[in-house]
Amino acid sequence: MSNIAQTYKRLRSSQKFQKRFGVAIRLIIAVILIAFSIFPVLWIVSASFDNANSLATQSLIPANAGIKNYQRLFNLDPNFSFGELNYWTWLWNSIKVSGINTVLGVSITTIAAYAFSRLRFKGRVPILKSLLLIQVFPNLLALVAVFTLVSSIGNIVPALGLNTHTGLIMVYLGGSMGMNIWLVKGYMDTIPRDIDESAHVDGANDWQVFTKLILPLMRPILVTIGILSFIGTYGDFLMARVLLNDSSKYTLMVGLQLFTAGQFDKKWGVFAAGALIGALPIMLLYFLLQDQIVGGLTRGAVKG
Amino acid sequence: MKKSFTLLAVFLIASLLLGACAQATEAPTEVPTEAPTEAPTEEPTEAPTEEVVEPAGKLVVWADDTRAPILDTLKEDFLAQTGVELEVVLKSALRDDFQLYAPVGEGPDILFGIPHDQVATMVANGLIASVDLGNKAQDFVQSALDACIYDGVLYCMPYATENLAFFYNTELVEEPPATWDDVVTIGEALKEEEKVDYIMSVTGTTYDLYPLFTAFGGYIFGKDANGNWNDQDLGVDSPGMIAAVEWLVGNVEKGNLPTDWDWANNHALFETGKTPFIMAGPWALDRIRESGIPYAITNFPAGPAGEGYPFSGVQTILINAQSENKLLAETFLIDYVATEEIMTALYEKGQRPSAYLPVLEKLDDPDLLAFGEAGRNATPMPAIPAMGSVWTSWDSAVVLARDGKMTPEEALKDAGEKIRNLIANPLYGMVNVPGSYQSQVGCDGDWLPECAATAMAKGEDGKWHSGPFELKAGDYEVKVALDGSWTVNYGSDGKQDGPNYTFTLESDGTVEFIYDEDTHMLEIVIE
Amino acid sequence: MAIADSSEGKPVPKKFSLTTVLWKILILAFDALGIWFIVQAISLGYVELAIIVGIIVVGFNIIFTLDKGYPFRWMALGLAFLVMFNIYPIFFTMYISFTNYGDGHLLTKKQALAQIQKVTYLPEDAKTYSWTAYRSPEGNYALWLVDNADGQTYLAKPGEEIVPAQPGDPGIGEADTKGIPVSLEGYTRLTTLQAVANKELSNIMFGIEGEKTVQVRTSNEAAELKLRFVYDEATDTVIDQSNGDIYFNKEGTFTTKDGKTISPGFRAMVGWKNFQEVFNSPALRGPLITMLIWNFIFPTLSVLTTFALGLAISIMYNEEGFPLKKPIRTLLLIPYTIPSVISILIWRGMFNTEFGVINRMLIDIIGVAPRWTSEPFWARTAVIIVNLWLGFPYMMLITSGALQSIPSEIYEAAEVDGASGWQRFWKITLPLLLVSVGPLLIASYIFNFNNFNLIYLLLGGGPPIPGAATQAGYTDILISYIYNLAFAPGGRGVRYGLASAMSMMLFIIVGAITLFQYRFTNMWEEVSENV
Repeated sequence: MSNIAQTYKRLRSSQKFQKRFGVAIRLIIAVILIAFSIFPVLWIVSASFDNANSLATQSLIPANAGIKNYQRLFNLDPNFSFGELNYWTWLWNSIKVSGINTVLGVSITTIAAYAFSRLRFKGRVPILKSLLLIQVFPNLLALVAVFTLVSSIGNIVPALGLNTHTGLIMVYLGGSMGMNIWLVKGYMDTIPRDIDESAHVDGANDWQVFTKLILPLMRPILVTIGILSFIGTYGDFLMARVLLNDSSKYTLMVGLQLFTAGQFDKKWGVFAAGALIGALPIMLLYFLLQDQIVGGLTRGAVKG
Repeated sequence: MKKSFTLLAVFLIASLLLGACAQATEAPTEVPTEAPTEAPTEEPTEAPTEEVVEPAGKLVVWADDTRAPILDTLKEDFLAQTGVELEVVLKSALRDDFQLYAPVGEGPDILFGIPHDQVATMVANGLIASVDLGNKAQDFVQSALDACIYDGVLYCMPYATENLAFFYNTELVEEPPATWDDVVTIGEALKEEEKVDYIMSVTGTTYDLYPLFTAFGGYIFGKDANGNWNDQDLGVDSPGMIAAVEWLVGNVEKGNLPTDWDWANNHALFETGKTPFIMAGPWALDRIRESGIPYAITNFPAGPAGEGYPFSGVQTILINAQSENKLLAETFLIDYVATEEIMTALYEKGQRPSAYLPVLEKLDDPDLLAFGEAGRNATPMPAIPAMGSVWTSWDSAVVLARDGKMTPEEALKDAGEKIRNLIANPLYGMVNVPGSYQSQVGCDGDWLPECAATAMAKGEDGKWHSGPFELKAGDYEVKVALDGSWTVNYGSDGKQDGPNYTFTLESDGTVEFIYDEDTHMLEIVIE
Repeated sequence: MAIADSSEGKPVPKKFSLTTVLWKILILAFDALGIWFIVQAISLGYVELAIIVGIIVVGFNIIFTLDKGYPFRWMALGLAFLVMFNIYPIFFTMYISFTNYGDGHLLTKKQALAQIQKVTYLPEDAKTYSWTAYRSPEGNYALWLVDNADGQTYLAKPGEEIVPAQPGDPGIGEADTKGIPVSLEGYTRLTTLQAVANKELSNIMFGIEGEKTVQVRTSNEAAELKLRFVYDEATDTVIDQSNGDIYFNKEGTFTTKDGKTISPGFRAMVGWKNFQEVFNSPALRGPLITMLIWNFIFPTLSVLTTFALGLAISIMYNEEGFPLKKPIRTLLLIPYTIPSVISILIWRGMFNTEFGVINRMLIDIIGVAPRWTSEPFWARTAVIIVNLWLGFPYMMLITSGALQSIPSEIYEAAEVDGASGWQRFWKITLPLLLVSVGPLLIASYIFNFNNFNLIYLLLGGGPPIPGAATQAGYTDILISYIYNLAFAPGGRGVRYGLASAMSMMLFIIVGAITLFQYRFTNMWEEVSENV
């Protein structure tokens, strides 16, 4: 007995043990945390492969496993018709709208951030402040206003009106400057001004400084706000639902909502299947760009 | 740096131009929509079938996922015969979207699949047009047509009716229960034997429990002498309703009923044999059949007030008030939808008894016949705007009672009060004498039944008094209005909606009004 | 020299060059397009839209022609979108808050009048007919009418007197089995379908206007209709032609003196009524206090829990060479990669009291299970747990980045001073971290303050607050409460006016909080000072 106690004491006092013990504990915590974060995901996976299709009878490993839900999702089940159901079109629409919005939004934000970071002018601070305040407005409640606006624009230029992706993208672009401009400007502030000052002395103009010197250094933050804005647009449901009217124009989130209407329960499995496939592009993007995101998010806020 | 902005501007202008170009390219496609209506004039009337190449226009229908595929089958015929393209758009929230899109002129021509109780608000909003079914009207179930009539005008075409019925598991229960006491007895026995988890599935709080409420004497709104809903007679806190909720709460406390009344989950309970009874609608037939559980459909058990009865609903089709194709839409409904083929398809897909007689008469599905039997005393869902205020408060009250947060009586009384508040009349109970004198005595204008300055107060003599008011010389007209609105008003001789009272002041003087609520007569005292 | 000046926003020397010319042309082109758009907008009656586009066009001209506008050129496009799709809707919402826009008043006055002026009535002695249409090659129409009452037949053409006619008369073909002529000279007979496919048919007046006209009313019937309502713009009244009643415009509904109304109503200004209602109506005010308190607790707890967990994870697994560091972090990121609308719905199923997997597991393991959907405390706990799941990966991302940016010399110095692990955390790590991620935390707070999706999709705001005069639940926050009151079909119908009034108030509250918090964290000062 005492022997063991002694050994234990000895081991415990050894730094190495302490460290190992700590690692073990942390690994155990990691397992718990991972269980917490992936459990709902496993649940979607299981629901999507459960042919029985009922929340009450569902278990983690479906008793009734099969791919019926996927067949239904892709209109391959002759006994089950949703009418015009264009899953792949929705997915493509989502990627298209989010992609275009991200590229344009990030460009607009970055160019504007240059002015806020490098130029000094009257109105700079008030504008920055107001940008934040405007974002605070509960957008959900301005839906009616946005809807009316887009509908009027559409009566003049149909290509920008209701039920068009261009109209939707324009509305998204309206919100692109908000919080993002703070992040980008913050990041830009961390790039020493000596660099551009010396370039200016060498005869470069602002645009050259911006494109040749600053932009290449901004990659992490651009990736970060790019992906944040992509996810935000991709996951948006309310605005897209209100502005898009035609099943072939729907984005994925709007399309999936068709499965949650009416007899939701009956389509629960199909919804899960659609949701799962829909989440894959984002997951992929995330895991590929993980490190860049971390770098971007924090340096922008840290401000050197 | 100039260059920088050149670039920016190029981008900017380009994007604007793109918009303009996109519009330009769109323009030509729009022109033909006008032209061909004139163009095919030379064509012989007999068979335009082959000649039509370019659709002369579009008829847009919004429908849900059950009905859209059925309408899709009409596309070819319709285009061939009318030269107009039929476009069926799948929608998940038909009514909400319609409310948003119709006012800006982007709504469909036809809205397919709206419960009749939602039609009232849409009529009031001016969103839907009247329908003339002509001779076809005879082919519809009269009560279903009635559900579409507001102020004597037909506003929709019905296609199906629906109501709940009582299901029992034939393997567990031999004889269907005749009373709610039987439900408890049979259920508790089965529970004792551990054959079931609960004595009954409960799939909701208001609509789904209505047959239970009515068996105990509960009701939602009373009816007036003409058989119209009377939104001043609210039954949510009636003794019958309270008794029914007490029955429910008692059984929840005994563990006889589940504590969660989610629709899908409770269906799953019945379908897995964990409960012997359920009250379900025809829309659940598919899933119950699919589950393979042995079942039969029967009438509702009786309670202290007799056999319970469900709500009945009518599924309808509407025409957009702003549609430019109203006549065509109407013809589409009469000639293409009100046909045996489509009505049969709607019935088979939707699993609800058809509102179209030729199809209904052929109804041979025993289950659907049983639904008809269970719903023979059904009361149509009140299609009055006040219902909007009722559902949520009623639902909360039942939930609060179920969860033991309040007693059934407290909860329902509370809900009743809430609903009465919401029925929008903060002025409920006000007696007023609106008239052409009001602007002289501090009102915003004349003829304002809601103006507090002229509201009457009840005196000790049991009559209502207002004034004296100092008025200038002249001729005046007045009327009596109740509850701050014109809904209930009395004219001379106490006649409802009767002509105005008139009086004349030869010179400036004072006027007093006295109103008798029994005779509805107004006495005008001039000094 | 000039270049250095430019960064100070001072005038830039002008040079005549190709770019300048191109530049001017572009501006002119932009102006032309803008003016075209404005003209179109005005002609369609969108005055507000014309104004806002006008502001943008003028703004662009100022920015791009005056040297002082130089810095704004960088943000011109962003500002334009912002003004158009963000600021303008706010003003529009403000405007709506002073109207009765909503059920019963959904249409604009123009639309409502257009409908009202189309209403027809059948005078008492007027006849109704069944009709058959004929069309000439020029596109003119003729109608064969059969009187519904006595079976008399007539021929009607626009602008010509309606004359009795029989099949076989000159120019009229023989009757078919139903007694309708198979042809008319110069016209071809149409089936009902062919006839109604023309949108214009119901607008054609057959007969001589002012005398007797017949209109196709439905696919079955034509009738001697008269327009029922005439609108008098000068007095803003509508006169009923059938009985002479006069309807006055009363807050968006044409109403007679004794209370008869014409449907539909239309949008009208109602002044401060919506705001007064918020303050005066006991129904609206009722549960506001309970809800406000929760509306502050919820985002606070959300930010605290997600930040704490995210930070803990970053610290635990930040170390170089920690085993499986990368896969652990990757797996923990998963919640952030699933669109939240989807994951909230999944959680909703999992938290179901009776059937949800969480309670099924809890009962198996510890034998009791909380009633997530009916107990206020547990419902709120569920909301916080789900938001923790949704939000901790973000916090993990930002804190782990921020941790890396804290210079290690500071820690080394602290170690020399003999500071313990905890002391180091509280005295060094946390304060430094808060400086860098503070603004992000505030953004997260604001986001959660208005986190409608979570509240609405998870429990629908429930469980209900007993005794509240309106539909309100323990997990409801202001935005979901407003949504229910104003939009949800279960409420009092659609009331955009009231909702907008409440939105404006909510905007003021949240705006004030934001300003306060930023002041608190000195962020403003940093903006001003930071070079």
